[in-house]
Parts: sequence; C-alpha cells; structure tokens
Amino acid sequence: MNLARVRGTVVATKRSDAVASPRFLLVEECNQHGEGRGEYLVALDMIGAERGHLVLLTQGSSCRWTYATDDKPIDTLIVAIVDEMDQGGVYVWKQE
Amino acid sequence: MVLARVRGTVVSTQKPQNMEGLRLLLLEKIDPVTLKGKGDFVVSIDSVGANAGEIVFFVTGSSARMTETTKGRPSDATIIAIVDTIEKDGNITYQKAAEQQ
Repeated sequence: MNLARVRGTVVATKRSDAVASPRFLLVEECNQHGEGRGEYLVALDMIGAERGHLVLLTQGSSCRWTYATDDKPIDTLIVAIVDEMDQGGVYVWKQE
Repeated sequence: MVLARVRGTVVSTQKPQNMEGLRLLLLEKIDPVTLKGKGDFVVSIDSVGANAGEIVFFVTGSSARMTETTKGRPSDATIIAIVDTIEKDGNITYQKAAEQQ
C-alpha cells in the first residue's frame, strides 16, 4: 500500500461505477512524513477518512477485494487511516 | 483513479470485433489544483457519455473491464465519472457549471 494525504473531495453525479453511495476523495501521494509530492489521485473512501489524514491506498485489482467494490471498476481505494508510524524506532507520524 | 480533461476523440476502423461500438476519447491528465494539463495523454474508453472539455476520472488495469460498457472487452483505461466539483483544503478548485458559463 502507498501512503497518501487526504486533501479534499471530488463530486461526480454521472458515473458508471455502480458503487452504492460512494465517497470520492482527492488524495496526494506522500512520503513517510506525510509530505506531499504534488501528485494527486481520486480514491474511493471506505472508512470515513477526513482532510489531513494520512491514509493507506490499495491500488489495482486488489481494490475489488471488498464487499462494496466486488466486480466494480475501482482502482484506488483508501483502506486504512494511519494513527502512528515509526521508522527505526522514531515516530515519523502521529495522528493529532 | 486519475483526473483528466477530455481533449478529443479517437477513431479506429481496424480493431477487434468486441471493440466495435466503443467510444474512444483522448484525455490529458490534469493537476486538480491549477486544472492545467500535464502534457500527459492517454486514450480511454468512455462509459459515461463524456464530452470534450469536461473533467473526468478514469480507472486503469483490470478494473477498466468492470463497467457494463467494457465487460469482456480489452480496455485498460475506462472513464467512470464526469466530475462536477473538485474541492481542495476547503476551496473549490473546479465547478463544472461555473466553467461552462
């Protein structure tokens, strides 16, 4: 899974994904400190992530291995909100 | 999913039978903050009826075969949504209705 920061929301009414009441978030790919790289993706949110959260993205066909996304055309999915993360025993991220 | 703007259409007569009737669109990936094109283009199958100038997002890989339009067809990039609004850090960076006026 890749790390990303939630930056905003994307609204679309005309869709073909057939996902029931989806929530699409604008996420920015980032490093282990939560610093963005300027590369953005639209991700389907499963877990109620909010702006500023550091999240884990599942990408590709693995996104379809949830009940909500089974056989759906989804390739970017938020599967976890990171509470804390350490690198060599030192905290590099703590959710405020 | 990747944000892009519809820049044009692609026409092909020589293609597999199960690709017949599919609409191919030329997309340019965009930055969602400035809305500027990145000069990075991709051809995608349209499953939502997108038109030139609209901002859309598309799926790639095997997930591109999961729409009703592309089931069982050799697509690896499919448009699944026409974007109405993009919001970043509480600011609206794109509103479809506003741009068309």
